[in-house]
Amino acid sequence: MPSLPAIPPATVLTVAGVGKSYGEQRVLSDVSFTLRAGERLALTGPSGGGKTTLLNCIGGVDQPDEGTIRLGEVELTRLSSDGLAAVRRRQIGTIFQFFHLLPTLSAYENIELPLQLLGVGEPERAARVGELVRRVGLTHRSAALPSQLSGGEQQRVAIARALVHRPALLLADEPTGNLDSANGAKILALLRELTDESGVALVLVTHSEEAATLCHRRLSVRDGRIAGGP
Amino acid sequence: MAPPSSRAPWIGGVLLRRTTLRHWRTEPWQTALLVVILALGVAVYLSVRLANRAAVASFQNFTDTLTGQSDALIRAPAGDLPESVLPELRAALGARAVHLIPVVETTAALPRAPGEDGQRFGRETFRLVGLDLVALANLPRRPAGPLFLGGDAGFWARLRGGTQAYVSAGLAARDHLGSAGPLRLNVDDRVVALPVAGLIPADPDGARVPDNMIVLDLPALQDLLGKTGRLDRVEFLVEPGPGAAALRAELPGLLGALGRGRWVVGSPGSQRDAAETMTRAFRLNLTVLSLLALLVGLYLTLQALDGAVVRRRGEIAILRSLGVEEGAVRWAWRVEALVLGLAGGVLGVLLGWAGAQVAVRFVGQTVNALYYATTVHSAQLRPGEAAAAVALAMGASLVAGWLPANQAARTPPAQLLGRHAAPAGGQPLLRNYGLAAALVALGVALTWLPPVRLAGGGRFPLAGYAAAFLWIFGGGILCAAGLPAGAALARRWGRRSAEVRLALSHLRRPSGRQRLAVACLLCSVGMTAGMAILVRSFEATVRGWVARSFQADLYVSSDGAQGAASRNKLPPATWRALLTDPAVADGALLQVFPLELQGLPTMITGTELAELQAHSRLPWVDAPRDAAVFDPGRNAGLALASESFAARFRVGRGDPVTFVTPAGPRTVVLAGIFSDYGNERGSILVERSQLAGWFSDEAVNNVSLYVRPGVDPEALRRDLLRRWPGLAVYTNSRLSAEILRIFRQTFSITYALEVIGVVVAVAGLALTLASLLLDRRGELTTLRALGMTPRELARGTSIEGCALTTCAVAGGLAVSLGLGWLLIFVINKQSFGWTLGFSLPWGQLAVLAATVILTGTAVAHAVGRWGAFLPSDREE
Repeated sequence: MPSLPAIPPATVLTVAGVGKSYGEQRVLSDVSFTLRAGERLALTGPSGGGKTTLLNCIGGVDQPDEGTIRLGEVELTRLSSDGLAAVRRRQIGTIFQFFHLLPTLSAYENIELPLQLLGVGEPERAARVGELVRRVGLTHRSAALPSQLSGGEQQRVAIARALVHRPALLLADEPTGNLDSANGAKILALLRELTDESGVALVLVTHSEEAATLCHRRLSVRDGRIAGGP
Repeated sequence: MAPPSSRAPWIGGVLLRRTTLRHWRTEPWQTALLVVILALGVAVYLSVRLANRAAVASFQNFTDTLTGQSDALIRAPAGDLPESVLPELRAALGARAVHLIPVVETTAALPRAPGEDGQRFGRETFRLVGLDLVALANLPRRPAGPLFLGGDAGFWARLRGGTQAYVSAGLAARDHLGSAGPLRLNVDDRVVALPVAGLIPADPDGARVPDNMIVLDLPALQDLLGKTGRLDRVEFLVEPGPGAAALRAELPGLLGALGRGRWVVGSPGSQRDAAETMTRAFRLNLTVLSLLALLVGLYLTLQALDGAVVRRRGEIAILRSLGVEEGAVRWAWRVEALVLGLAGGVLGVLLGWAGAQVAVRFVGQTVNALYYATTVHSAQLRPGEAAAAVALAMGASLVAGWLPANQAARTPPAQLLGRHAAPAGGQPLLRNYGLAAALVALGVALTWLPPVRLAGGGRFPLAGYAAAFLWIFGGGILCAAGLPAGAALARRWGRRSAEVRLALSHLRRPSGRQRLAVACLLCSVGMTAGMAILVRSFEATVRGWVARSFQADLYVSSDGAQGAASRNKLPPATWRALLTDPAVADGALLQVFPLELQGLPTMITGTELAELQAHSRLPWVDAPRDAAVFDPGRNAGLALASESFAARFRVGRGDPVTFVTPAGPRTVVLAGIFSDYGNERGSILVERSQLAGWFSDEAVNNVSLYVRPGVDPEALRRDLLRRWPGLAVYTNSRLSAEILRIFRQTFSITYALEVIGVVVAVAGLALTLASLLLDRRGELTTLRALGMTPRELARGTSIEGCALTTCAVAGGLAVSLGLGWLLIFVINKQSFGWTLGFSLPWGQLAVLAATVILTGTAVAHAVGRWGAFLPSDREE
């Protein structure tokens, strides 16, 4: 397991007493933890344990019923829909198991999209996207549509898209879950490399032991509760 | 185990019960919307059909309601019959058990209300029927028909009371007749007061007595009209009995042989048939337009069912993965479409019946102004028509559900369950530009084909309508090609805004749904704009025609003449007094007589042709080669013909035309052909003195007056009205305005149909976008995760909607130019024989385009807002 940077960085994410129910079903109960800049946290546990719900709450696409989630100084649970969208746009990057690239945009355009949403000027967009495209090894495929890319290539594009706007927090939901082991290993290596370089905090939901070892810390989520971890 | 095909209905039934019905219960509004869409399409079609039928049905032989349907009738080929034919007929029929019913008929209108200036056509017109009431009272009761005056003991006393009117129960109740004094009516040039003697008895099993029917004793009406000794027709009623059938068969031949050209023999219902054929082109054109609404409704149903397939794809995939066969899924969807069609059809019948009560007034106004007097105020629904409408809705729904059913059946379960499903693809047909170009070319070729000749002289431009359909269909396919081209052109804008980029990215490879939405909007916009071009061109032409043809200061006619069927005229004493008025410098007379030529109804008109040449600039299609036709000394045997007449009877300048007059057969040579937009039956124009001689009738329909210098036409108009309360006097400007008002009125129902078409098409766009967003739910979730706000997501959808609408509007306007040309130079020309100029209503087209684009964008924005809040489509 990698070690954390020598100088303790600031806390990026604070999850305190978060609970969530869907009707009668309790899916999260009293979940609390913190995450520092540059830290990578693996959320593991059985399917249906509440990992993705927790990730959705952290990402602001779902709202907890109780507790608070703070990203830096911003309390997500108090924000409006537009406020949450602004936080997602500036502070959060997300990687999905099924990539979820926009099918009508090319790889380059998919990566460029978050910068466009932020209103970044075209020259800077070109520089940052070009750099990331090079880093993920897709320079020759940047004009291709998602349907023309392999699964590994699509996930590289998704990683680049999640990092291009330099977020404080990266959320990854089973990023290797839909890839073969060789491609999964490459993606994990890329993820480690890029998060190390950028200092972004990562919350990684995974069933994969190999993926979990990428992280500095691991929390197991069972029946909606933090069951413990090293 | 039974083969899958035989299990399909059984499994399909399970699917219907377990899934479809539950979806309907959980999504009642969506289901209701779908039913309403179908119902609207059927309702528009049915209401126009019922209104058309009602307008024609009202033109029944009025005596039918009194005597039951007669077995035969005779009438003069032109003019009227002398009463002396009655003893001749009676003698010829001998002891045959046939009753003769002589009839005189005319029209009358309610007089002007106090304070009304009387420069507006369209007041209620009544039909006055003169019958020999004594003879009618002696008719034996016919088993199948009503009996006039049956059981009315006071009749004989009232009959001795002089000129009195018998009115329908409906009119008496409506106007409180009897208690409100005599019935005042405008007949010819005077207002007469007719005491109401009683009600026309209505047999509950017989034909309904029309509200506007008024019966007088035959001699009383003859006196009133100055037609003593003259009859309009004689009807024949065979007495029921063992030999009745043979006698009915014998009667026409016997009457024909006896007439020797002096009269024509009509069959029962021949007048109604004549009314049907007279208006067939008009009604067919309306029906074609009403089918447009059904077509768009069919498209909407397709869109809605397609959307349902998208919403339920996950469920279908699960069912397929559980072993449900393609056939069962397809069967269930088709049955669902049929059931929706049934519900939509039933609702459509109710809406259509209600709509018909409104539409019948529009149709009635037009028929009244252009063809004959109709008084219909309500439309009746027959069980067969209701069943046909429901069947139409079910058929349309089944057709619309065909593609979605196939799409549902072919849903690949593994892909869908694995969340790899590509968005629904398009129909290959909608991408086949070669086929589209071929359809457009075929449409061009069809414009060269002649119209279908209908019985009764009508012409139906079937090939022209087929060409319009091909151009709309082909144009719809070709137009979608503009989407990727437009998206490529606008690409640089995409660099500035994420929403624009996203919207454009969806248009670079438009889906089948997007193409279909564009095609449907193009269809509506193209039809609406095409009709607007036709109407503007028509109006501009009519304006020019009115300005050239109507040069007199005042136009005088009977105020009883409120529709095309009016028989009210100005007697010689009146028109002579008008022409010799000190304020009048000059005048011209116009006589119009109905005429039958080659078995078809047309008109012969007479005027002072020299006056016509001096004061009017007739718009010529084929001008006379010399001035002989305008010289009373040289124009005997010469005539001018309207363009419609020339087209209908396939004659031209220099051709002879022979017709029968009361004075015997006459032949005239056509010296020229002029444009005339009065009606499509056409007319020939001869020197008035000749015509008056042929018909032994000096009464005129219209007098044009040119006032002396210094005379105020309006002051003279008021003076004439004071002296002759029964006259209608129009100034030049008011007559022109009135002609244009009636002209616009004839298009009012067309406008209503077009607006419905556009509204439905915009609703279709909303459904399309909703389906697309449902299909892109995963993408929306991603975009939300990337930080796009609902407002931005909605903006992206509205940009896409705006682009789709703009593309459709641009294509629709382009198609409308072709359709406008087609409507003006092919369809109108073939239907009505009128030459029109081509005129573009720039302002109207701009308003239409802006309205559709703005509405489409607003609707897209609303759908986008809805889509932005769709629940996430991610797996836990």
